[in-house]
Amino acid sequence: MEKTGAEILLQTLREEGVDVIFGYPGANSLPIHDSLDESPIRHYLVRHEQAAAHAADGYARATGRVGVCLGTSGPGATNLVTGIATAYMDSTPMLVLTGQVTTELLGSDAFQETDIIGITMPITKHSYLVSDPGEIASTVKQAFGIARGGRPGPVLIDLPRNVMAAKCEQSGVKNITIPKKRNARRKKDGGELQRIANYMNMSERPVILVGGGVKLARACEELTGLIEKGNIPFVSTMMGIGSVRSSNGFNLGFIGTHGNELANRIVHDADFILTVGARFSDRSTSIVEEFAPLATIAQIDIDPSSIGKVIKADISLVCDIREALTTLTPLAERKGRGGWLSRIEKERNVLGKDRSMKECGPAGAFIRDVQTAMPEETTAITDVGLNQIWTVRSWETRTPRGMITPGGLGTMGFGLPAAMGVKIGVPDHDVVVFSGDGGFFMNIQELATISYYNLPVKIVVFNNGHLGMIRQIQDLFYGARFNDIELGNKVDIVAVAKGFGIEADRVPVEDPGAGIEKMCAAGGPFLLEVLVDPDTYVFPIIPPGRSNIDMIGGRQG
Amino acid sequence: MGMRERIIAILVNNKPGVLSRVAGVFGRLGYNIESLCVAETISPEVSRITSITNADSDFIDKVKKQLNRLVDVLDVTELVPGQSAQREMILIGINLDQKGRTEIVRSIGLFDCKIISMRNDYCIIQVAGSREEVETVINFLKPFGIDKIARTGVLALRYKDSVS
Repeated sequence: MEKTGAEILLQTLREEGVDVIFGYPGANSLPIHDSLDESPIRHYLVRHEQAAAHAADGYARATGRVGVCLGTSGPGATNLVTGIATAYMDSTPMLVLTGQVTTELLGSDAFQETDIIGITMPITKHSYLVSDPGEIASTVKQAFGIARGGRPGPVLIDLPRNVMAAKCEQSGVKNITIPKKRNARRKKDGGELQRIANYMNMSERPVILVGGGVKLARACEELTGLIEKGNIPFVSTMMGIGSVRSSNGFNLGFIGTHGNELANRIVHDADFILTVGARFSDRSTSIVEEFAPLATIAQIDIDPSSIGKVIKADISLVCDIREALTTLTPLAERKGRGGWLSRIEKERNVLGKDRSMKECGPAGAFIRDVQTAMPEETTAITDVGLNQIWTVRSWETRTPRGMITPGGLGTMGFGLPAAMGVKIGVPDHDVVVFSGDGGFFMNIQELATISYYNLPVKIVVFNNGHLGMIRQIQDLFYGARFNDIELGNKVDIVAVAKGFGIEADRVPVEDPGAGIEKMCAAGGPFLLEVLVDPDTYVFPIIPPGRSNIDMIGGRQG
Repeated sequence: MGMRERIIAILVNNKPGVLSRVAGVFGRLGYNIESLCVAETISPEVSRITSITNADSDFIDKVKKQLNRLVDVLDVTELVPGQSAQREMILIGINLDQKGRTEIVRSIGLFDCKIISMRNDYCIIQVAGSREEVETVINFLKPFGIDKIARTGVLALRYKDSVS
């Protein structure tokens, strides 16, 4: 039977399990929208394409499925770019569909034409320009395979309007295999895991460093098993938070610039570090030469390019993390590690058990109060800035997908649209997004989307009238010259929210009173503006160019 | 090992845009491509890219891993001198006067090269050989007044029994 390119596209998306697309139509994507009403796929109309990409990203992070966004050619496509880069940095599986001018106009500077494949080349895993409707089904299937496979990431398909409108005899597409590398002997374990186990068993002060790859590999249970069998304390990168419940007794916190002091100090003292699914970003390691100076480092990752890129591991293995841990755990000896663990406990007590509360100031206490008031299965999303650090430090993650944060790219404006995607992906979970006033204003238009679809998202906006994290950096490292960071307090955020049709309230951070309960009780979306003193920062902090134990606001000596 | 010429051979799918992805990896890592040669292999759907970069010893590892992330890259190999045959071809255009004309015709036989076009005031010479051989010819011809030069860049193939 003859079908249009658009119909084949939507049918193939269905076959790949897609139920939701976040998008914004334009002239060159119209054939797709024209066919959407006959498809069971639901389309959510956002108010700016950047939000479509972030929503698809949030959806993917919350569900583990591939998120799909759709924009038209030209500005529609370029508006997606920040969202694609965010997904790329954090390895989110995502399919990006863009309309394109007709094939005969390609390269003619036609109205709303951009070379989106060229623009997104460094921030996609792969991209396709489809020039024949007969290729659509196989292209889409390949794209899903690439987006999900190995280290996941965004894949873009550029779809010229005439190809979407053209009719074509649809022959059933068999399962597509992704072309294999000639040298891709996917490295089988050649004894590395036994060697890693030997190091681990012999080490006196081992630590496991957990990255975002553990969640992507769905290896959280396996990892918890290894930690508990070997009595091995663990630290996370920011992206690794949630892989193991944060209440786990072996949890030392997360490392790096804004990380927990305990985590940074213990990594510094460790004699063996097993790194799983982490890429040693500069935010995690600070000065590379001074990172874990005493440790033998083992690294397991699915992505060969993450191995040896920043830190030369003493022993490494390219492997699916779940497979690796399944083999490794039986090789790990049950050890008491009394000396090491009691040393860590001592350090923990010296640093003060409740210090992370003080380090995040009243905002940390506020976030804890919100969590207490919300159901167990609540997903927290952060924006970027102080709100992000306060949240990842104060929110207790109970499930692998319970905390969503744009760690790699640090995209302000991520929170609100990502929260929409999360809520649509896991409608049974309560969803709360913590944002600052800066990031909130960057995608404030999405209040309209949330209101239109009546998405019951709880929105917390910490308002200090400034770009708080930048203010802290200026305060500490730029002689307190507060240039260009004051947002002011002239905007009545509560009135703005109400104008969008969203219930809202305003409370001071120290004394939220009934504000939190009111937010939690709301049946629909609710915005809580939380007034914060601009001098409220986050401590400790590692100055640029210093090592992870050389922090401001940490313990002395 | 320090900076030296590194030759790598990259097998890629013979499709539009692939060269730009490959070149993008070099550029993003901050490497300059000194020479580049691309053409299809015995299977027309696969192309071979041979490139030279002046780089440190960590170059191969870095560039190989990043290139392998590209879906259309099928294989990346370093070609080490001594374990591979390396050849380059050059066309050299020379402005001639009567004296130069006689001398070039007389001495060209000393080298492994050919005159492929000869006019009264201009000739084009074809040189093929190892890097050193073609450099020798270029240096020899310089005093005659080289007008233009076109080089293929180095082509290389690994000897069959060498294992890396």
